[in-house]
This record gives sequence, C-alpha cells and structure tokens, in this order.
Amino acid sequence: MTAEVFAGLALGLLVVAPPFLPPYFLEILISVMLFGYLGAAWNILGGYAGQFSFGHAAYFGIGAYTSTLLFLRLGVSPWLGMLAGGVLAAAFGLAAGYLSFRYGLRGPYFSLVTLAFAEMLRVIAVNTKAVGSSLGLVIPNREPAPVNFVFAGKLSYYYVILAMAVGAVWITRRVARSKLGYSLLAIRENEDAAEASGVDALGMKLRAMAISSFLTALGGTFYAQYFAYIDPTITFGPSVSIQGLLQAIVGGAGTVLGPVVGAFVLTPMSELSRAALRGRAGVDVMLYGIVLILVISFLPRGIVGSLRRPGKGRGNPPGVPLQ
Amino acid sequence: MRMNLLEVDAVTKRFGGLTAVSRFSLTVDAGDIVGLIGPNGAGKTTVFHLLSGFYAPSEGAIRFKGASVVGAKPHAICRRGLARTFQIVQPFVNLSALENVMVGAFNRTGDVKAARQCALEVLDFVGLGARRDVLARELTLSDRKRLEMARGLATRPELLLLDEVMSGLNPTEIEEIIGLIRRIHAQGVSLLIIEHVMRAIMALSQRIVVLHHGEKIAEGRPADVARDPTVVEAYLGEEA
Amino acid sequence: MSEGGRSLPPSDLTADLLLQAVVSGLLLGGVYGLVASGLSLIFGVLRIINFAHGAVMMLAMYTTYWLFSLGGIDPYLSIVVTGPLFFLIGMGIQRVVIEPNRFAAEHNQLLLTLGLALFLENLALVLWQGDFRTVRPSYAGASFVVGEALVEVPRLVACGGAIVMALALFAFLRLTDVGKAIRALSEEPEGAMLMGIDVGRIRAVAFGIGAGCVAVAGALVTPFFYVAPDVGESFNIIAFVVVVLGGMGNFVGALLGGFIVGLAESLGATLLPGSLKQLVVFGLFVLVLLFRPAGLFGGGRDR
Repeated sequence: MTAEVFAGLALGLLVVAPPFLPPYFLEILISVMLFGYLGAAWNILGGYAGQFSFGHAAYFGIGAYTSTLLFLRLGVSPWLGMLAGGVLAAAFGLAAGYLSFRYGLRGPYFSLVTLAFAEMLRVIAVNTKAVGSSLGLVIPNREPAPVNFVFAGKLSYYYVILAMAVGAVWITRRVARSKLGYSLLAIRENEDAAEASGVDALGMKLRAMAISSFLTALGGTFYAQYFAYIDPTITFGPSVSIQGLLQAIVGGAGTVLGPVVGAFVLTPMSELSRAALRGRAGVDVMLYGIVLILVISFLPRGIVGSLRRPGKGRGNPPGVPLQ
Repeated sequence: MRMNLLEVDAVTKRFGGLTAVSRFSLTVDAGDIVGLIGPNGAGKTTVFHLLSGFYAPSEGAIRFKGASVVGAKPHAICRRGLARTFQIVQPFVNLSALENVMVGAFNRTGDVKAARQCALEVLDFVGLGARRDVLARELTLSDRKRLEMARGLATRPELLLLDEVMSGLNPTEIEEIIGLIRRIHAQGVSLLIIEHVMRAIMALSQRIVVLHHGEKIAEGRPADVARDPTVVEAYLGEEA
Repeated sequence: MSEGGRSLPPSDLTADLLLQAVVSGLLLGGVYGLVASGLSLIFGVLRIINFAHGAVMMLAMYTTYWLFSLGGIDPYLSIVVTGPLFFLIGMGIQRVVIEPNRFAAEHNQLLLTLGLALFLENLALVLWQGDFRTVRPSYAGASFVVGEALVEVPRLVACGGAIVMALALFAFLRLTDVGKAIRALSEEPEGAMLMGIDVGRIRAVAFGIGAGCVAVAGALVTPFFYVAPDVGESFNIIAFVVVVLGGMGNFVGALLGGFIVGLAESLGATLLPGSLKQLVVFGLFVLVLLFRPAGLFGGGRDR
C-alpha cells in the first residue's frame, strides 16, 4: 500500500513540477522517463518471464526506422508509424522468439541469440542505402506539428514519454496480477515444473515477447522524433539493449516499479559523472559497469526487489505482490 | 462401456543404445491407487516422464481418457487431467506457497480471484494453510512435498502421479503423507505412486506393479507381489 | 574484422581470390581459436560465459602498445610479460568479482561479466580515449607470396603463435596435475570436489589461463590490427560464435571452430559487399545455436 501511495505522489510531482524546471533538468527527466520506459518494456520478458534478452535494440531500431521511413518517404504521421513499428517489431519478436523458444534456447544461449539477431539487423541497416546506411536518417523540418509528433518545446515531449512510461508501468501491473503474470513467474522459476503444472511455456513466453517488443519499438519512435536523428549504431547497437536491461536489473527485475526506480538512480548518476569529468567519454558507462557488478553482488533483487524482501537469497527476485 | 483412465500399451523408451523402459504395459482405472516399485534405476521415473509428456516413447502407445497423449506437451497433458510431482521437489522457490499453488489453479480458470480461492482451499486441504505466504525456499522438505502435491491438486487432476513423495521424511511425516494421500483418493483422484518406503506403498496400493531394468516383472495385490520370488530376487540382487 | 570490405561480384571471382580468402581466413582463424580456447576453458570450469573476454584482450593490446611505444619492446617479446601479467589479473578478477558470486543465478553471473566488460572497456576509453593506435614494428609490412596468395608475415606469426599456445595449453591440461584437475572439474564437478581438489584455486587458475590466452592472442595481433577501446568487442562476438560452434568446454573444438569461423568470415568478406560478411558469422551463430547448440563437435551443453 505504501508503495502505491509513494508512486502516486511521485507521479503527481512528475506531472506538476516540470513546467517549472530549467531545461537541463527537463532533458534529464526525459532521459529518465525514456530509459525507465525501455526498462519496463524489457522487464516483462526479462524480469517476469526470466528470459534475458541482450538484443532488445532490435525492436527499438525497428520502431525507430519504421516510423521515420514512413514519415520521410510516405508522409505518414509518426503516431501511426509508431503503431506500425510496434506491430512490425512484435512480429519480428514473435518470429525470433518462436525460433529460439521452440528450439529450447534458455538462459545464456537465449541471451546470445538475441544479441545475434540485433547485430544482424544493425549490419543490414549499415549496408542498406535505402535506410541511409551508416549515415542514418535525419528528420528535417522541425516545424511544430503535433499531428506529426513534432513539438515546439521539450515539455511536450516530456509529457509524451511520461505518459508512455506510466502506460508501461500500468501494463506491467496488469500483467503481474493476471494469469499471464503468474505463469511467467512460474516459467522464470522453473520452466519444467511450470509445464507440468499446466503452463503453456512457449505460448506464455511468446506473449511476453510480443508485449515487450511492441512497447520497446514505441520507444524507438519516440527517440527518433525527439532527437530527429537515427543511425544503425544508436538504434540497433548494444548500448540500447544494455540500457533497458540495466534499469530493470538495478531497479528490480520482476517488479512493477523497479525499472522506473532504476532509471531515476542511473540516469542522474550518469549525468553527474559526465558533468564531473567533462570531456572524458565513457565515464558514465564505466559507472554502469561498476553499478551492475555491485548490484549483482550485493543487491541481486534490485532496489525495489530488496525493499520487498531483504536479504540476498539465491536466484531470481520475487515479483508479484499479493493484494 | 468403461474406459480405462490410463492405458500404457507396450511402451519402450530408448536413449541411444540404452533401453530404459521395455515393452511396459499398465492400466489405471478411475478410482485406482496403483503402486509402482522397483530397485533404483529400474526406470520408474522414466515412466512418469513418458506419461507426463517430458519424453516421447520410442515405441508403443499411451492413452489417457481414451485419447493418445504421445507427442502432447506436458502442459496439454496436465490440462487433460494428469498431474505429477517430481522425485526431487521442484517448487517455485521465490514465490510464496500460495503463489505456487495458484499457478496450478490457473489450469482451470483464467481469473486471479478464482485461482487464489482455489489455491487457498487446496493449501488448507494439504495442511499448509497457515504457511501460505511463506516463500517456498523457506519451507521444510516435508512442507515442500505437500506444496508440490497441492500444486498438482490445484490443477484438478483425475490422475495424480506421485514420485517418491516420502523420500527424506521421518516416520511421523510419512504417516501424515499417507493420510493425505488417502484423503486425496477419497476426493476422487486416482493415483499412480512411485515409492521406496515399502510399508507406505503396501498400505496404500490396491495393486502394485514392479519394474526392473525397465521391464515389468510382476503385478498384483501387495501381499502377492511381496511374496513373488522374482521380485524378491530383483531387490536382493540389487543389494548384493 | 575491419580490413576494408573487399569484394567483387561473383562473375569476377577467380580461384586466386578464393585462395587469398582461404589463406587470410585460416590465418586469422588460428587467433580466433586461441581466443575461443580461453573462453571455452573458462566456461568449462566456471560454467559462465565471460562477456569480459574481449575487454581483457583489449587491455592486453594496450599493454603491448605501451610497452612498444614507451619501451621499444617488440610485441612478440613482450608476450613474456603480458601473458603472465594477465594470467594474474585474470586470477584476481575471478577471486574478487566472480568467486563471491558463484552461487548466484546463471543469468546473474552473465550480467556480472557484462558489468565487468562495460567497466573495462570504458575504463580504457576514459584513460586513453578512443583514438586508434597502432603497433608497427619494422617487420609489420613483411610478406611473401605462396602461389597466387599473399601471406603477411605478422598474420602468419600470429597464427603460428596461436597454434603453439593452444598446443601448450593442450599439453598443460593433459600432463600437469593442475591441468588434470581443471579437466576433472570441467567434466565431473562433483566427483572432482570429492577427490579433494582445491576447487576455489582451480577456478581462479582456469580463469587466469583463459585471460592469459586471450592476452597472448591480443599481443599477437597488434602488429596488424589497431588498438582502441572497442577492439575487444568484435573479437568477443566471434569468440562466442567459435565457442558455441566448437562446443562449450571443448578446447580442441574451439581451435577447429576458430578456423571454420575465420574461413567463413573471410569468404563472406570476399563474396559480400560492405560489412555484410558479419551476417555470415552471425547467421552461422544463429544456425548452430538453434540446431546444434552442443556444437559441431559435441561436448558442449545441449541448450
């Protein structure tokens, strides 16, 4: 109960305060929301179903490129393009997921194959002139046009990503309190025992994959519209995959609020480190590495997970709250 | 015309050059409690894996409620009404007892409240009601065994396969589990039980099947099987 | 790898080009094999996929670079320093970071090495920035011709050195007590523990050897490669492919797998434009993962 109250208050603050924030902080907040969103999307497959994808950039990139190409080549509004990208990403995710799960890939092997898929998309994008090769795509003409997902000020973008993040958290909550959620946790804990208890592991994992990949793709569109520039490395590269995963792991994989909490911890940390050691690229990611090691070593359930049930225990974090 | 609940028809299972189960046949009717015994390595758990869909037979047929289950995935077989426990307990360690059983209950309903209600009832039935919010990893072995049975029961099976549920338990706990199994049976669930604790299997079973080196070497009432020289030989031979 | 995608449409393909591709692929494949052997060894004993493998290689390359540019020490000679140094560093990493978490869930251990990789790669970036550096001793450009194929001496030495190192590793595993303990722990962990093997020490040694191998590989490639914080990443991915192909924990398989992957990559570079050769490697990776996860030569875990 207190978690909900806290979250409610925080949300209230997040809605009301930003118009009064200086632009620099608003930018950071947007990053926090975006990473929290991506973390929440990853969390459904990684935290709940326990399938650690290292290649979620594939869906991010599909989302970013689909909406951008539809906009640039056919004049389709990125809002629609966003949906199209989501559907395409979900289709790709289902295909990749079906191949992987049907052939029984689990654990690290699953992680590796998802990494391979994302890398393959990146290589294809780099070598395809039609999508801009390594130069990528620029969205020109930044005349504000909300119907085309182009806004005058950062504030509007902020509210979009805030809404998306809230949506993702809400979806996570709904899933967690449903048959799907319990089934995913069972699969995460022990897939064979879950099957023996009547859980259709393949079907459930695919469902989680579809939701996760769809949501991740939407994030890709947002990124494209906000930054007005995408290229294969930014969108399909490992750093996107790692970002999503990181928020969830640090904040608490398999919890509803974990990814957002993780983003609130990691993004400012990253910003501060970059500001402190200006001109030295890589400090923030170096810190990510240290944080990851520390979290796995001392707080394996993540921040929210550890608040729920203190102690290291062994194995995966618990997730579903009983109401 | 009465249909057998479970029909195992000359099933053989080979792993490469090793034949784990050879031309094994068995029928279980509704209301039966059948014991499956045999020395270590006889192939009993392999039979359970075959029945529950984790292995596919190399030869032979398996029919549950008249329909073949060969090639069906474990969850589908569970849906049809055949549940099982594992020789080494496999709880969902980071979930509570209640959450564990709810997973089974979802077999029969898609609604969280209904599943929770069903799970609570089953937990009370097996005697774990008071520990429903305890994480499975923190339960004692005896409780974990009950939990696994509860999870299986929550799927509302017609046939429950129990794999050595009494191993590692002390005499008091064994008595309690025997009582629990009788109560399960009284609810209308048929049982196929693998067990090494002889006195338990003798007391519970209406009929016992003996497996040795993957082959059925005896079948009959407990008293008859106990006296069967082939059976005695099989067990004594293993001890030597 | 970054060799400037040289490719021609199939109609211009000649036996010479293919021969060149084969030669280049096999030469680099030897190095891949050494890198993968280290990774395979680590997996065999510790059962973790070491994401930081490429980062260690990168650090070794930097070490070789600094020894060369500041001390004038020949990269091949510096192996005498680099190898043992990174063996010790590897042991240290294992003891400090990995061993305390040996009971953590499998995917958490994976994340541990991922965190290590992120840390090490970006530490290099912070310390030495992203500029490409090169180690070019006097013989860096030496080459000779075999038939119609050009053989660059540094590549030949790298391959030869890798094979020698792999053979040494093989001998070590077969003949020494420590080596046998490593194999025991790799093949039969429970039995090994019952035999009184000091498991903790062996695990540290195994990681150290893995690190040492990849460090030697790093030193061997510096004369014809570039040195930068991200150089390890490409070798990392290739190492995963090779190890899965060869069978996780199968050292001989890793060496053979290295040649296969080197060949596949090189042929891919000849036949496909741009950087599409990577698709050949990844495609092979996906196929093996899906259809023969235990590796072409078996011995690896089945999924």
